[in-house]
Amino acid sequence: MDDAEFEALVREHSPRVRALCAAVLKDATEADDAAQDAFLKAHRSLSGWARESSFGTWVHRIAVNVCLDRLRAAARRKADSLEALGERDAAALRTLVEPSATGALEDRDLAHRLLARLTPETRLAFTLCERDGLSYAEIAEAMSCTVDSVKSRIKRARAELAEAARHFSRTGGV
Amino acid sequence: MEHGEAWDKLDEWLDGELPDASAAELSRHLDACPACKAEAGLRRRLGEALFAPAVAQDPRSSAAFARRVMARVEADSVPLWQRLFAPALTPALALGLAALVLSIVAPGLGYSEPFDGWDEPDASYAALVEVP
Repeated sequence: MDDAEFEALVREHSPRVRALCAAVLKDATEADDAAQDAFLKAHRSLSGWARESSFGTWVHRIAVNVCLDRLRAAARRKADSLEALGERDAAALRTLVEPSATGALEDRDLAHRLLARLTPETRLAFTLCERDGLSYAEIAEAMSCTVDSVKSRIKRARAELAEAARHFSRTGGV
Repeated sequence: MEHGEAWDKLDEWLDGELPDASAAELSRHLDACPACKAEAGLRRRLGEALFAPAVAQDPRSSAAFARRVMARVEADSVPLWQRLFAPALTPALALGLAALVLSIVAPGLGYSEPFDGWDEPDASYAALVEVP
């Protein structure tokens, strides 16, 4: 494959890969770097691309691993404890418990910090499920793990996040 | 269906991963149980709240991104040793050339003894090369 063909593939598949990286990593600059890393890795190992899967599926899987590596590196930094979240954060979380709540949290930074409380694997599985709408089997394939692992990670992600929302609903504050 | 069993299956139900019969059974339970229904609502809202809908990207942004990737691909294709030593090679090459030029030109610049013929070989050498 020559460079022109590869560049065409990058143009075609970059929207999905960049969207994945942005959803997982939240930081726009880091997401862009991660997406570039994914395509660079793909280019380096083009000879290893078994063409039974499409280029899009293959590079998406590479991007998943790049994101996971970056999440693991970030996880070494301490995540916020529930008590460290401010009153404004608490108010936003309390609204989630209201059945009438709809739409995305306006405070994207809070969403990022909440997701950062999850383990990298849990966060990635949850993101692939919620944002990309992948099936458990597709997530298992992308993350090279079992469907049961995916099931338990997604269950854990929702349980922890729901617990955070309930925590503020019960206490009425921080 | 018990609450515990319902809560255990909620995530698979939300994600469309539950077999039809189990999904129908859970749906019936949720219709009749406000607590489980509230929990299902909360878990559904979490995903909506944390992941803003994807914004369609400008196609020009994809072209610019592809150019950035190709620049890295091009840089990546230069051998590592060349990338590491290329900056050092140019001055080294210049120094080498300068040294070569000096070695050719320098003897003519300074004083040197006039050539007055080869020394006579000593006797032992003459004996070695003498043809019988």
